Amino acid sequence: MYKSKVIAGIEIGTSKISVLLGEIVEGCSLNIIGLGQSSSKGVLKGDIVDFHDASDCVHAAILTAEEQAGVKIDGVYLAVSGSDIEGFPSEASVNVTSRDRRVSMEEINQVSTMAKGRDLAEDRAVIHHLRRPYRLDNRSVEKPLNLEGDRLEASYWTIHGNARKIGDAIHIINGFNLHVDDVVLSALAAGSVVASDEEKTNGCLVVDIGQGATDYAVYQDGNCVMAGSMPIGGDHISNDLSIGLRMRLSQAESLKHRYGTAVLEHKNKTEKVWLNNDFEIGDRPIPLWSIEKIVELRMSEIFEVVQKKLGAYGRRERLLGGVILSGGGANLIRSDNCAELVFGVPARIGENGTMASGELRESQYSVVLGLLKYGLQYQSKVGSEGQPAGIIGKLKGLFN
Amino acid sequence: MYETGRMKMKVVGIGGAGSNIVDRLMLSNPNGVGLTAINTDEQSLAGSPVLDKYCIGKRVTRGLGAGGDSSIGREAAVADKQVLEGIVKGIDLLFITAGLGGGTGSGVSPVLADLASQNGTTVIAFVTMPFTIERAGRAKVAKDGLEHLREVANAVIPLPNDLLIQESEPGASLLEAFSHADAWIERAIKSIWSMMNKTGLINLDFSQLQQVFSHRAGKTLFGLGEGSGENAAEEALENLKLCPLLHTPEFSKKADQLLVNLIGGAGFSIGETQLIMDRVTESFGKDANVVMGAVIDESLGDKVEICVIGTSDISDISIFRGRKKPRPPSLEADPAELTLPKNRKNKEIHAKKVKVEQDEFSFNEGDPRGEFEDTDGFVFEGQDLDTPTFLRRGVRIPI
Repeated sequence: MYKSKVIAGIEIGTSKISVLLGEIVEGCSLNIIGLGQSSSKGVLKGDIVDFHDASDCVHAAILTAEEQAGVKIDGVYLAVSGSDIEGFPSEASVNVTSRDRRVSMEEINQVSTMAKGRDLAEDRAVIHHLRRPYRLDNRSVEKPLNLEGDRLEASYWTIHGNARKIGDAIHIINGFNLHVDDVVLSALAAGSVVASDEEKTNGCLVVDIGQGATDYAVYQDGNCVMAGSMPIGGDHISNDLSIGLRMRLSQAESLKHRYGTAVLEHKNKTEKVWLNNDFEIGDRPIPLWSIEKIVELRMSEIFEVVQKKLGAYGRRERLLGGVILSGGGANLIRSDNCAELVFGVPARIGENGTMASGELRESQYSVVLGLLKYGLQYQSKVGSEGQPAGIIGKLKGLFN
Repeated sequence: MYETGRMKMKVVGIGGAGSNIVDRLMLSNPNGVGLTAINTDEQSLAGSPVLDKYCIGKRVTRGLGAGGDSSIGREAAVADKQVLEGIVKGIDLLFITAGLGGGTGSGVSPVLADLASQNGTTVIAFVTMPFTIERAGRAKVAKDGLEHLREVANAVIPLPNDLLIQESEPGASLLEAFSHADAWIERAIKSIWSMMNKTGLINLDFSQLQQVFSHRAGKTLFGLGEGSGENAAEEALENLKLCPLLHTPEFSKKADQLLVNLIGGAGFSIGETQLIMDRVTESFGKDANVVMGAVIDESLGDKVEICVIGTSDISDISIFRGRKKPRPPSLEADPAELTLPKNRKNKEIHAKKVKVEQDEFSFNEGDPRGEFEDTDGFVFEGQDLDTPTFLRRGVRIPI
């Protein structure tokens, strides 16, 4: 008799809501068994602005997925993104006190707790503590246990978000009588799928461009060392087009899909395309140059802002593994070229690799796949280490 | 000062940029509206061809200007309060033109608007917002000035220079870029002036204008379109849809009450008017509260100009995100008050009502953010990234 658990990866995005179901067998292997999707309402820039609408859409997607799989969900992994997600480095150090100057497990636990212990403002909740390599007497070590040294330093990149906004999303899931096991930053989820181990070791950047928000994660020596989110995404491109070329948002959206390119291709300003292409009254010619220029400016700015937010981590020599794009924004023609121009390293569109087949290979599913992967790792960890902690424990106090 | 029956109109240009617009009006329309220029900089004022000009706050600035500090501008205005009161005395409709971002425009305009509306004058302010590429301090001064002005004027129509640069030829000089805003304001004022003063095929009078601005107040929307030749009307409508002051062709959905005025040349017939009216109704929707007028201006030849003024009631919008303030409960509209005849006695009530409700929605803080108007901005390195990149970088987009 196999012991299996059904987990769901849920992404509440600005354009659509995706629910992917996976079955964890014996806590070690994952089968993908169902997918539910619905177009999103009540979500703007990655934030929930209309609880009722968003809730209806999420529930519709969950129902579809459950029906497809024919099972009930046991636990949910939820992606978070959008505004109000920030990060900061937190560090701590201890002296190695044992007589043989070898680092003990106690000392590692102590320094980690100290580094994570920094207080946040009351309305903030920690999403992840990303551990950077330990430093033992100023040399970088992955596992300091039993190594010899005097001073052990631990450093974390702490990602925190608005507790209320994250709480809203959790509340929607809870409203369907489901338990949220953990929340994961979108970029981390996507990164775990699209970036290869080799790329992560060499240092790489994963940028997930959604409709309402863009998330990013930097990997170094195999681990994620910095990640974040900003409320700028594909909607901004459409909005720019709509303002610049005076048209409705839906028309701008359609132009973006038909002619948008992240790097200017038509130097000639006179070439024009039809707005609606339906030969009806109100159709008018639009210069192709204008469309491409507006899109190019916004796309390169998104990358530039990410680069600035990364600080030293965004430097070329630290990103030798390149830039990997995912999310709907990656579907924009030449978005990889645009990223190459900004970061100065090779860029590629993320693929979901061996984990997925069929339609799940598209980059829009990277996040939900990543959530399941995260859930799998988490489940096996819970099995060995006991009680789960994480953000849910912290948020419980805030919302119940 | 131009008088029409009991109605008196005046344009007051404040500060360097404001005076430029008045100078411009003076050259193009010498027999028109009453024109006044106010500045704190004596030297710059001396160059203005306007006859009615005042250098204020000499005791504060020694006639040397406000130096980009709006508090000095304000001090100057308060010091010469009597002069300002004299300027707006007995005026029914006051236009204020100013460039926000400088010390005089941002400091003096709210004081003048306040004095005027206390006297029952309807105040419409056209203000230009600085380019993002100008230093960040100017944007802050402009933002504060706009906020102050909104509290006291009946309508504030901000013209972001960022957006208007889109209208200029590629490679235009900065001076030309600035003059674009002036030209827009000139057209706007002339259009309202024609509406009030020219022979009407379908008349729109001052009380209707007042009603648009005071009945619901809320936010102000303003757009102009022109066309000429055989298909003048359709051309004008198309042109209106491309007006940079209106974000998208959907603007009419955003306004609760829309005043649409057509201005045509001497050959403008009632039949033609009918045709245009049909087109306008088609474009703006029949159910919308649209007040339409049509007037003849002989000087226009075969041109047709459409002027749209829209206001919307912010009181029934329940969700307030971002910077918008909900309407205070004390302003619950009293139905009796709204149906009172619009005579001078009641203007005070309207002015008071408008005071708090006044807001604009064409641009948030003078920045066009379109779809993201109601959301909190994402500010990075001093720039609101919701505003289109091409606007912030001053890239001209051919349309």
